[in-house]
Amino acid sequence: MSKTALKTSAKKLEWVDVLEHVYESRIDAVGLNERVASLATRSIKKDSKLEALNMIVSMCDLTTLEGEDTKGKISQMSAKAVKPDPSDKSIPSVAAVCVYPSLVRTAKENVKNSNVKVAAVSSYFPSGQVPMDSKILDTKYAIEEGADEIDIVINRKAFLEGDYRKVYDEIVALKEVCKDVHLKTILEVGDLRTYENIRKASLISLAAGSDFIKTSTGKLAVGSSRQACYVMAKAVLDYELWTGQKAGIKVAGGIRDAKDAIRYLVLINEEMGDSWLNPNLFRFGASSLLDDVLKQIRKLKTGAYQASYYFPRG
Amino acid sequence: MVNWHYSESIESSEIVKIKKKYTNYIGGKFVEPSSKKYLNTVSPSTEEILSKVPLSNQKDIDNAVKAARTGFDKWSKITPYERSQYLFKIARLIQERSREFAVLESLDGGKPIKESRDFDLPQVAANFFYFAGWADKLDLSWGAKELKPYGVVGQIIPWNFPLLMLAWKVAPALATGNTVVLKPAETTSLTALHFAELCHDAGLPAGVVNIVSGDGSTGASIVNHSGINKIAFTGSTQVGKLIQKSLAGREVGLTLELGGKAANIVYEDAAIDQAVEGVVNGIFFNQGHVCCAGSRLLLQESIHDQFIKKLEKRMQTLRVGNPLDKNTDIGAINSKEQLDKITSLVNEGVSDGGELFQIECELPGNGFWFRPSLFTNVQPSYSIAREEIFGPVLTTLTFRTPEEAIEIANNTEYGLSAGVWTEKGSKILWTADRLEAGVVWANTFNKFDPSSPFGGYKESGFGREGGRHGLLSYLKASS
Amino acid sequence: MIEVKKTYKNYVDGKYVRSESGKTYTINLGGEHFELPLTSRKDIRDAVVSSKSGYKKWLSTSPYTRTQILYRLSEMLEGNKESYINILKNNGTSKRNAEKDFNDSIEKIIWFAGLADKWEQLVGNLNPVSGEYFNISHQNPIGVVFSLNKDEVSLKQLISSILPPLTVGCSVISLSNDSGLLALKFAEDINNSDLPSGALNILSGDFGKLIDDVSKHVEINLLAIHKELSNENIKKIEENASSSVKRVKIYPSTEGISSILPYLETKTVWHPKGT
Repeated sequence: MSKTALKTSAKKLEWVDVLEHVYESRIDAVGLNERVASLATRSIKKDSKLEALNMIVSMCDLTTLEGEDTKGKISQMSAKAVKPDPSDKSIPSVAAVCVYPSLVRTAKENVKNSNVKVAAVSSYFPSGQVPMDSKILDTKYAIEEGADEIDIVINRKAFLEGDYRKVYDEIVALKEVCKDVHLKTILEVGDLRTYENIRKASLISLAAGSDFIKTSTGKLAVGSSRQACYVMAKAVLDYELWTGQKAGIKVAGGIRDAKDAIRYLVLINEEMGDSWLNPNLFRFGASSLLDDVLKQIRKLKTGAYQASYYFPRG
Repeated sequence: MVNWHYSESIESSEIVKIKKKYTNYIGGKFVEPSSKKYLNTVSPSTEEILSKVPLSNQKDIDNAVKAARTGFDKWSKITPYERSQYLFKIARLIQERSREFAVLESLDGGKPIKESRDFDLPQVAANFFYFAGWADKLDLSWGAKELKPYGVVGQIIPWNFPLLMLAWKVAPALATGNTVVLKPAETTSLTALHFAELCHDAGLPAGVVNIVSGDGSTGASIVNHSGINKIAFTGSTQVGKLIQKSLAGREVGLTLELGGKAANIVYEDAAIDQAVEGVVNGIFFNQGHVCCAGSRLLLQESIHDQFIKKLEKRMQTLRVGNPLDKNTDIGAINSKEQLDKITSLVNEGVSDGGELFQIECELPGNGFWFRPSLFTNVQPSYSIAREEIFGPVLTTLTFRTPEEAIEIANNTEYGLSAGVWTEKGSKILWTADRLEAGVVWANTFNKFDPSSPFGGYKESGFGREGGRHGLLSYLKASS
Repeated sequence: MIEVKKTYKNYVDGKYVRSESGKTYTINLGGEHFELPLTSRKDIRDAVVSSKSGYKKWLSTSPYTRTQILYRLSEMLEGNKESYINILKNNGTSKRNAEKDFNDSIEKIIWFAGLADKWEQLVGNLNPVSGEYFNISHQNPIGVVFSLNKDEVSLKQLISSILPPLTVGCSVISLSNDSGLLALKFAEDINNSDLPSGALNILSGDFGKLIDDVSKHVEINLLAIHKELSNENIKKIEENASSSVKRVKIYPSTEGISSILPYLETKTVWHPKGT
């Protein structure tokens, strides 16, 4: 079923309903932490491990968001995105590359003969602290350059000041600019701190029309956590219950190894169901993660631990 | 659409050497039962016979009590500091052999390795450490110099947490200066008998710990023995009452830890997702073979449907299977007898009019298995709402006001534990004050700690285990 | 063959450091001279910084883990019995007394180790207030404790001054003069236990030179004086301490439950009970 079809048959929430759900957010942190810790005790081995690793690759948004990014760097990364491990053709391409708007064109050029999408961050990533017009301009530019997906940040200043309506309106406005371009809304869980804040921000973002909610910009010391992912998963499921709409989750920031990434998959698998385990509904924002995953795949297939120099730079 | 199955991840059982036959541990020696009779012990997940354990009789108990008396004469003369050193030694040895004991526990009893490894064994070690630290400071515990040990204590333990129940009994008894004659449960004697070897390795003076296996008759011999100064029993209320009767008029100390039918109260202002987790944990942990299991879900009517929906969805992710698979959540039912009891009560529940939900999953061919189950549309008069099932079966009742919740929760002869789920602090305290239960868990469930006293009100028994209060189970006023 | 003598250093924040002043003082033991750090005022300030962070780490360690760490400390000492006995003997203690001192020390550490997960049950309580209130008094460790060790060269004395505050969760800075060598040797076993860095800092030196700095330092929460001082010095300390309402304990008890009481602050919490 296409996304547009899903949307028109779905129920829309009025702001008043959204606010009610937001205020009903009650989470016990200790209980939540225990549940997440218990999910991490799952032992994923052999075939199930290989399946997981391949899934992770296909869910990666290979990311670089540095001041020093150049056309050359993006070209290298894009090549790796399309063919993560040239020596093993069974390994899929990643889901997307994620870059600054000024490099969208380069990225697009480099992934054109593949299914890899180009995602751009906008809305004055990572702070979002400029007038709305600037954020709209930023987003329009990225789309004009050819971005398939847009990752925006919520206005944490407004959120923490309690102005939930403003947070909501901004996302609605940016979604309007995006139209059918896939919109990911970054909550920046490191700024939100409490699980209840993460839930509230999730609900606001979902109600405002986000296709995905995303944990972090990757620019803070505190990036993603499995606890944050759990909160967001519950919010997404509750939202689906109320409106019939499915939205996706992207976890980014600090996920460095395959072991951790597999734990995220277990969480999604058991809390949401394996129908959510696909790149249309779950993504990893990754840079060093991909290499560790490739190493683990090679190890499973050959039985030997690998070194980084076996894999091309990206 | 992905269908991601977890591959098997089996914990190897090579680490534990199971003997073909075990012997009792009496007076520091390993001895055959007088009758030369043995009981087969079976692995409930495969039905294969694991080994044979002694069927002890009156004569064996006589020997054990005599040895414990001699042991007591020695044990009460050494310094408290020395007593604590023995207990530390035992604690350290348990830590070192943790994995081995965990695997054995899962094989013999059926519980998932995840639980025996992550819960049972760490708690066992922690209990020995905790009580070791009381041995040399008993004078501080109650500021009462007149408290003295009983002497020889008979201890009878159940099959649901075999080694942990042993730790809950042996550690405080020894720390307070008593010596013990312990009988493990018939179906789960192996970890206790391996523990005996550990006592031996620790150089524990002869007769301080005596382990004798057997069946109900063995237990009766202990209870009725004139040389016993105190009995500590954990098991069914039915047997507990018989024991209490047997001790009438005999001046023998007694603590009982019996059955339960705990209410898990979920108010409408609970943190729902965590309450679902707590409810699941409350009844499905250890296959529901838990005296303090939250077997009655008391749900505020206003959130009934949404809660049950989330609960059923969450139950469906429980994995039933080989206890040695690290991904198993629900292991085997401990015995055919127990399985039959659960099945019969569940059938009764259905015929009474309850609506039954059971998760869909494949069950292994051999072994004793029961799918996690949930009853809704239940009236308080149904047997499933009143009798202890001791299996992975949850019964739901509804309430409208807090006062009603209290009434329903207390409407039982049991009083071991209770759960309260609400984000409102004052309501937790108000509710806890009114619940007739020895342990109240608020916004959590099945939490245990050696320093936290555990025990029941009413027919769930008397006396406490653990904590400063737990010491009183093994000390009496000398005047 | 020139014997390379071991240099004893202060133990701060999990590391061995010389005094930043570069100064040392001499201890004579069994005919040999040892140079120990002469702790300066700056050293004290560094130690306090470390103790503050050590306190946070130690506080966040669960009571059960604290017992495990302290037992391990006793196990570490047991393994080094010979060295301790030698130091005591070289100081003139008879073999018999040295052994007794050592064994008593082990027993003492173990006693306190086993107290770490029990003391709260002995000193806190529910208060029977009027009204629909839940009222509980519980104890929290006071924070950074500066402990001035006796001059008597005895392991048991050293242990007795350090264990009470440490057991209940305080971080401790222990300063020794004549018993400096023994204290710095003890630091090696601390290092091998799993005590978080900064929870226990061991310094050697002359308190006389540090009296003002220590007694006026706002971030030291409590001064425990075990060493015998002149009345004049005690008065000075108490006067200095008053400027920040610092707690001062002169010759506190080191036996039994009363030994931990000075190191605790009581917090009483009220909460209504209702629906």
